[in-house]
Amino acid sequence: MKDDEDGAQDQGGGRAAGQAGQADHGKWARIGLRWGSLRLRLALVFGAVALTAAVSASGIAYWINREAVLTRTQDATLNDFRRQMQSRAADLPVRPSASDLGTTAKQMAADGNAYDVLLIGKASDGRTISGASSPGAFTLSDVPDTLRDAVRHRQKVSPANEFAYHLFWQRVDHDGTPYLVGGAHIDGGNLTGYMFKSLAQERADLESLAWSLGIAAALALVGAALIAQAAARTVLKPVQRLGEAARQLGEGEFDTRLRVTGTDELADLSRTFNNAAASLQKKVEDMSAREESSRRFVADMSHELRTPLTALTAVTEVLEEEADNLDPMIAPAVTLVVSETRRLGDLVENLMEVTRFDAGTARLVLDEVDVADQVTACLDARAWLDAVHLDAERGTMARLDPRRLDVILANLIGNALKHGGSGVRVSVRTEASGTSDGDELVISVRDHGPGIPEAVLPHVFDRFYKASASRPRSEGSGLGLSIAMENAHIHGGTITASNVPDGGAMFVLRLPRGAPRDEGPGDERGEDRER
Amino acid sequence: MTLVPFLLLIEDDDAIRTALELSLSRQGHRVATAATGEDGLKLLKEQRPDLIVLDVMLPGIDGFEVCRRIRRTDQLPIILLTARSDDIDIVVGLESGADDYVVKPVQGRVLDARIRAVLRRGERESTDSATFGSLVIDRSAMTVTKNGDDLQLTPTELRLLLELSRRPGQALSRQQLLRLVWEHDYLGDSRLVDACVQRLRAKVEDVPSSPTLIRTVRGVGYRLDAPA
Repeated sequence: MKDDEDGAQDQGGGRAAGQAGQADHGKWARIGLRWGSLRLRLALVFGAVALTAAVSASGIAYWINREAVLTRTQDATLNDFRRQMQSRAADLPVRPSASDLGTTAKQMAADGNAYDVLLIGKASDGRTISGASSPGAFTLSDVPDTLRDAVRHRQKVSPANEFAYHLFWQRVDHDGTPYLVGGAHIDGGNLTGYMFKSLAQERADLESLAWSLGIAAALALVGAALIAQAAARTVLKPVQRLGEAARQLGEGEFDTRLRVTGTDELADLSRTFNNAAASLQKKVEDMSAREESSRRFVADMSHELRTPLTALTAVTEVLEEEADNLDPMIAPAVTLVVSETRRLGDLVENLMEVTRFDAGTARLVLDEVDVADQVTACLDARAWLDAVHLDAERGTMARLDPRRLDVILANLIGNALKHGGSGVRVSVRTEASGTSDGDELVISVRDHGPGIPEAVLPHVFDRFYKASASRPRSEGSGLGLSIAMENAHIHGGTITASNVPDGGAMFVLRLPRGAPRDEGPGDERGEDRER
Repeated sequence: MTLVPFLLLIEDDDAIRTALELSLSRQGHRVATAATGEDGLKLLKEQRPDLIVLDVMLPGIDGFEVCRRIRRTDQLPIILLTARSDDIDIVVGLESGADDYVVKPVQGRVLDARIRAVLRRGERESTDSATFGSLVIDRSAMTVTKNGDDLQLTPTELRLLLELSRRPGQALSRQQLLRLVWEHDYLGDSRLVDACVQRLRAKVEDVPSSPTLIRTVRGVGYRLDAPA
């Protein structure tokens, strides 16, 4: 007799679970890619690997165990049944009575391996009779048709197959309990025997095995998550530190260095970063040292120049007053010395102003002033009142440094007069500022000259930038507009230059009316003390 | 006051000293010169100048120290010669008691105008006296008494007090005070006013840190009130 493979087996559940797991994994992977975080991706990869490993190991273990358990039970039971059939059932008379069948079935069940027996025979009158070890529990209708057909089917006897009837088995589900049903026909008789073996115990064993495997897989998953976290930390921590260090370096902290540990690729990267930072730091330091020394040179130089200039300036008036009484041959020389000394004085003063801005030592001396009065006074002091049309209302108060406002105005208006001839318009107004709280003081200076060439426009506030190389040198130090701009900046304001469509250039000064960012050291001392 | 102002010029650089002496002499001043602070202080004791022109950068004791030493005993007007590159210097100079300052390089005409403005502050007026609490300002005698004691005020401090007392209860802006007291043009340095107000408060107020006479008017300037 041979065991035939029958298709009635229940393996679908496991496969379905596997597919569900893969679907889950796909969904998480999509979220991971969308989130894009390396940490999440690492955790997902670790999780997926752990899940795959756990599911396949558990699946294989379960499958092997299941087959081992079932085959062992099945083989033992079927062998026992075969033996019983051969010994007990063969002893029955050819035409047994129903009670004979029942007694034999009971005996078989009692001797056998905990299974029920159903014997089917043919009575002398040709009726089909049956006897069961536990009557009522099983009838022939509980035996699947396929099994009944297979058992009754007569095989061809050949050298390879010496028996006409074989023992067949099938696993069925009866009232929610799995059963092994086996059947055999006695050769040369009308007796057919069936056995029912409950597999509940085996199923319970396999279920607890599946639970254990499931728990083990879950534990593996948790372990994988923890390992992923740890791995992410060991990999990402240095990456994070590197990112932080790069950011600091970008913000100008050139002494940023990383601690190099280990010999891996990240350590290599850290070393490379440190080398880059070191050479950058050296370069920046060299550059700023050079810049600093050249600044110091200019500052010291202008300082040194001032001492002889002070002496010269003090006596130029003496010379000037005497010029009329001098020899006509000498008088022009004296006048020239006087005027050039003044120019030199202005130049040195401008240079010193620039070095103060560069060194950051320029301070505001703030006061509440009437802007219209200041502009008028500035024009008056330079005898520009006739050449300039002023559009300003008295009573426009602003808190600013009057000396610096004067410097700005003198440079802007002087520039306009130089390049645009007379007809310069100066207007003072206030505007609600778009950015800061409080109003803005807006002073525009407009001339009617040829305007500023487009190529020059972006450079008008550059130091020593002159519109044309051939420009006569009497037109100024080349620092005026840049000093005006610096003075506007220190107030928290700005100057813009543009060309007016109907001819002429326009400079617009914008200063906050109330709250400059830098307060002079002597400012509001009385108020501070009273507060 | 003598007709020809007598000045003491303390300046260490020979060229500047000679040039300023020449220039000031031509403007009609009598000038004595000293090259160091120590010499200047010695000269100050021997001769009695009307005003001192003091360079800040001096070998040995510097201009600020000279200024402080003079102020300990004397209310003589002092004009500082400074380099504006050091803005903080001006503040220190004003705090050590200088009446005014000029920035190098200075034109003789400008220095002369400042000198004359400072000297004018000590000139008498022909008016009455005024009382603010315990403070009595006698405009004809040019004296100020507090609780009957004479206060030692520099001419600038006195002039500031007089200008404020002429408009009691009315706020004067720093720019107004600069024109009235210092006779500066529109570019006057408001720190002169603040420093002088501080010094004046130290002398006339009961508690200088919480003034009751010379009040600050925020965003405007100062005002002299009679205590309530």
